[in-house]
Amino acid sequence: MSKEIAFMEEDIKIEEVKFLSGGQALMECFVAEGVDTIFGYPGGAIMPIYDALYDYTDRINHILVRHEQGASHAAEGYARSSGRVGVCMATSGPGATNLVTGIADAIIDCTPMVAITGQVASNLLGTDAFQETDVIGITTPICKWNYQVTDPDEIPLILAKAFFIARAGKPGPVLIDITKDAQIKSMTKPFEYKPIEGLPGYHPRRVPKMDQVEKAAELINKAKRPYILFGHGVLISEAMEEFRAFVEKTDIPCASTLLGLSGISIDHPNYMGWLGMHGMYAPNVMTDQCDILIAIGMRFDDRVTGDASLFAKQARIIHIEIDPAEVEKIKKTEAPVIGDIKEVLNLLTPLVKKGDYTGWKNEFRKLEPREKEAVTDRDLKFEGQIKMAEVVKMVSDKTKGEACVVVDVGQHQMVTARYFEFKRPNSYIASGGLGTMGFAIPAALGAKMGAPDRDVIAFIGDGCFQMTIQELGTIAQSKLPVKLIILNNNYLGMVRQWQQLFFDKRYSFVELQNPDFIMISKGFGLEGEKITERDQLSEAIDKMLAHDGGYVLEVVVEKEENVFPMVPAGRSVSEIRLT
Amino acid sequence: MTQYTICVFTENSIGLLNKITVIFTRRRINIESLTVSETVRKGVSRFTIVIKHEKREEVEKLVRQIRKIVEVLAVFGYLNDEIVYNEIALFKISTPIGGKALDIDTINRIYKAWVVYWGLDYVTIQKTGTEEEIFDFFRYLKPHGIIEFVRSGRVAIGKTPQGLVEYLPEDQEWEYYL
Repeated sequence: MSKEIAFMEEDIKIEEVKFLSGGQALMECFVAEGVDTIFGYPGGAIMPIYDALYDYTDRINHILVRHEQGASHAAEGYARSSGRVGVCMATSGPGATNLVTGIADAIIDCTPMVAITGQVASNLLGTDAFQETDVIGITTPICKWNYQVTDPDEIPLILAKAFFIARAGKPGPVLIDITKDAQIKSMTKPFEYKPIEGLPGYHPRRVPKMDQVEKAAELINKAKRPYILFGHGVLISEAMEEFRAFVEKTDIPCASTLLGLSGISIDHPNYMGWLGMHGMYAPNVMTDQCDILIAIGMRFDDRVTGDASLFAKQARIIHIEIDPAEVEKIKKTEAPVIGDIKEVLNLLTPLVKKGDYTGWKNEFRKLEPREKEAVTDRDLKFEGQIKMAEVVKMVSDKTKGEACVVVDVGQHQMVTARYFEFKRPNSYIASGGLGTMGFAIPAALGAKMGAPDRDVIAFIGDGCFQMTIQELGTIAQSKLPVKLIILNNNYLGMVRQWQQLFFDKRYSFVELQNPDFIMISKGFGLEGEKITERDQLSEAIDKMLAHDGGYVLEVVVEKEENVFPMVPAGRSVSEIRLT
Repeated sequence: MTQYTICVFTENSIGLLNKITVIFTRRRINIESLTVSETVRKGVSRFTIVIKHEKREEVEKLVRQIRKIVEVLAVFGYLNDEIVYNEIALFKISTPIGGKALDIDTINRIYKAWVVYWGLDYVTIQKTGTEEEIFDFFRYLKPHGIIEFVRSGRVAIGKTPQGLVEYLPEDQEWEYYL
């Protein structure tokens, strides 16, 4: 071989290494999108991506979870506390299927998420290769968008699309499945990342049509008994200021859905509470009294409406919503306004007039003593066994309502919604639509990553705690100062409550033989304490709040406590029960 | 039950059929017929989907859900009287020696159908028309012995003066549907 040819071969090699591998391109996409945190778990088909990640640990913080479901819920928690896109990664096959619950949770609660899954090499697709699953097929019904990448050159464009779609309009999860060969192979061109702002088939309207806004304003200005129901959309759109301004200018009473909690401060004079199956008495029953119902960033979920055909049936409805498919999905709407809530309110507020609704607001306030007497006073009686409400109320008082609260699913979720006095937005992170038990531990660690300056406190039932208990290891390894409070009634409390009320007290498989939670927590390296007596509670909470690392506080609460008010499933809100 | 024809314009990409059909599956709506082909615009596919449903508002909700798919460019729902529509059918008819002779004149002039292939002891006849017209012809041919029969999905075109492709978003010029 002559010297000259050898020299040329050297040149060619130098030329080749200029282009990034698929895995490196993915990391560059993350850097370009400003992704600072990824929740994930490695495995065979995603190893080239993890190899690329090894060189990016100075810019991207990877949190190693203990189970992929934890990764997807942690990404949700991150997204919900920070307002940014949560990112999770898993390998093919079982790794990918384990993400599914979190993805389904994210689509129904409109949480922006990008999930990356490894896939077997493209030549093995469809051969039942080791750890091959049709992830695209499995996740199609639960993703806002999904796509399989088989060529590294596609990565910059596909990732730009993924982040745009996850974030735009009504946010949701996007899954990108990348075959192993596409992770390894080099791109054939230089890496270039261009963020996307619209797609031919997807360009959600942000600024509403003015005639829709004018029609809504006209209805509002004629109203005698207007009532605002607001939901998660206010928080997603970051329209808290605009919303408060709208409420204050019109002086209309407002109530929140479960996921709308913390959209307005709980001490606002126009805030009447929250509604729904276990929501407050006045906000629920007054839906039968209003003449104009202004629904803002909510979707008339069955847990809000009960029997939807009877819900607010006397009212003319204004529905402010970003997703056109939500309009008239459940309720006939006289004035839909399609657009981003912030943009809509910026146009709507100048057109509306202040009304005199003092008498109307008093009708709400007049109902409050009934609930206080029947429910609140009983929950906060401070007698007998500790009640969930006392714990929540005390944590709320001690954190001045400033904490970011994460809850799991069940009675404790509803009690926390009732008794925590939210002062700051994005403070109630719950699995609302899907009702995923096991959500809280991983979501709490994700929420802490998304809002490191805030106190993150999770209220978790004893059943839920055991569904994702392994993520205690993640909290310990990543040194996340997350506070977990187990409200332990030794039952699957909500199911037990239904069995008591609707199934003749036939307690079918709801009693748990629980482990020693504190011993387990200590085994994972987390401090903790179990208390059973009321006089220990205050000190135990102080100790938990003062602790500088992750902490588990187990509070043994009354075994057969029921959550009220309650609208029985599928019934009209007028049938709300206080006892 | 009323018949509805749904025309869906999409980007032509892998897995899109599944993305569309899961929306029907989840709502327990059966697809009566389905035709897909590329439109005059390169890279844009047109789905023509026929369903039966009792409630118009449910079909409208279905249409809005299909519209949410990222690759879907536009969706239109029609009642039968709002469209011109047709199907195509092929019949393989046995013509053994000494068998009943086919009346080609009737087939051509009354039924507007054509023999498109002659085999040794069978012929293949092509007939276009509505579902009813095709089944009329089926009954006419039945005594001859139908070896095989196949019917396509519906293709349909709206009765409005504009073409649907005009409604598709141009590059960088976005249209809104609501």
